[in-house]
Amino acid sequence: MAEFRINRTRAIVLLALTSIFLITLDISGGGTSVVRNTFGTFFRPVEGVTRVVTRPIVNAWRSFRNFDDVVAENQILQERIAQQEGAAVAAAASVRLSQELLALNGLPTLAGINSVTAQVIGDSPSNVSQTIEINQGSDAGLKVGMPVLNAAGLVGKVTEVSANRALVMLLTDPDYALSVKVIAEPSRRATTVTSLPTENRVTPDEDLTSPAATTTTTTTTTTTIPTIPGFTPASTTVPVIPSPNAQITVPNASQLAVRETGVLQGRGPGKRPVVRFLEALPSGENIQVGAPIVSSGGSRSLAPPDVVIGVVSRVVERGGTAGPVLEVDLVADLSNLSFLRVLLYQPITETQR
Amino acid sequence: MSVVLRVMSSPWTRLVLVTMLVLSLQTTLFAEMRPFGTAIQIVGIFVGAIGVMHGVQVGALAGLACGLMYDSVLPTPLGLGALVLGLVGVAAAALLAPFRESTWWMRAGAAAIAAGIGEVVWPLMSAVVGLDGWLTPRSLVAAATSLVAGLVLAWPLLPVAAWTLRDGGAVE
Repeated sequence: MAEFRINRTRAIVLLALTSIFLITLDISGGGTSVVRNTFGTFFRPVEGVTRVVTRPIVNAWRSFRNFDDVVAENQILQERIAQQEGAAVAAAASVRLSQELLALNGLPTLAGINSVTAQVIGDSPSNVSQTIEINQGSDAGLKVGMPVLNAAGLVGKVTEVSANRALVMLLTDPDYALSVKVIAEPSRRATTVTSLPTENRVTPDEDLTSPAATTTTTTTTTTTIPTIPGFTPASTTVPVIPSPNAQITVPNASQLAVRETGVLQGRGPGKRPVVRFLEALPSGENIQVGAPIVSSGGSRSLAPPDVVIGVVSRVVERGGTAGPVLEVDLVADLSNLSFLRVLLYQPITETQR
Repeated sequence: MSVVLRVMSSPWTRLVLVTMLVLSLQTTLFAEMRPFGTAIQIVGIFVGAIGVMHGVQVGALAGLACGLMYDSVLPTPLGLGALVLGLVGVAAAALLAPFRESTWWMRAGAAAIAAGIGEVVWPLMSAVVGLDGWLTPRSLVAAATSLVAGLVLAWPLLPVAAWTLRDGGAVE
């Protein structure tokens, strides 16, 4: 066999040029998926055999590493289950009611989206990607871009699909971004004010502009509260007979639920994802630690609306006109994933793939 | 028929087949066993072993081939792993260049150090092509883990690397 001769400089130049060419081709979308799929056809069977052979070693490693943690976690979880059993029943009733209301109004709900259950079969082999491998692929209807959930909430999105495997990019990957809404927890305390004399009456408009909402009691039979953003107006009926001490209850405008929309971005392993806002929020002070974060939905969003993502764990204010940055505690434990649900929902932005 | 046999007996065909086995270990065993939360890069250690056993040229080309195969199972751009592992192969060989005679433990050490360097270069090159967020102090932990693991794993991989590209490859 004739030997392939090449000198040192040429080898390095060849390496650099080939790599740069391939990177450029891949980033510009130049059909490198054919290479990946072809290689995957040969590689997957080898990987499957190796997975079976190495399974006892992996299990032994997990037993060695995780036994104490599992025992401790089991005790905590048993206590937590006992605490949450009652709350879960009430929550399920609320969710069902919410879905019925959304359906009645023709709004999309998660209940109307089909899903495929998949099992995690592998972690990322690299230290520069946050992905997992699942045992369902295009044969089950999976496509690139579909959102992936576990029992707790959003986990990530499908980034590569073969016949019976798929790669899922986790929320913590720096390449992951998703539009979300932060639902500021409103204080349920309502402001109760004593009626003012007629001469000190304020107009409804003044009422709205004032941070602490006030209202008046008049001699008319009905006072209608004008529309307050985020609050459905209702009629307040007061007695016909004037009563100087009559009280009516009106929620404080600054305490109503606020939904702020931002972009959730991963920051790599070991770091909490953050939600960024493009500009300062007039209601930024309403976002507090513990506020829930859900997907915002929309025509170009990677996920349908109202998929639970996590809660705000820290609010970092920034100077100037930049909005705050929120650190997010994900509800899904990404370090311990087993069974997942892939929503058969393909975002418009991914339909070309 | 003789052409098929010649291709099958080529050291580069052997490299592809052996790399598939090493890569399958990377995507299964070493993807699950993550000391300090980082994956040991056995592919990098294998390329380093090829570099120290066969020199800069073979190290670069073998790294390119192994990297392309690794890229095919990663979501990162195709060619990124090829560039990094090619540099690992070059670095491993270059580390031994000053020594006229190298012992087995020097070879194992060079392969491990080169694999560790690869763990820092990879996020660096990722940042160059626009994949931000990976160049963190955690890269140093990953590098240290691969280095220490490399000192152990290079020992069995050195004879495998020597056999894989025996009787062929690029020579000056």
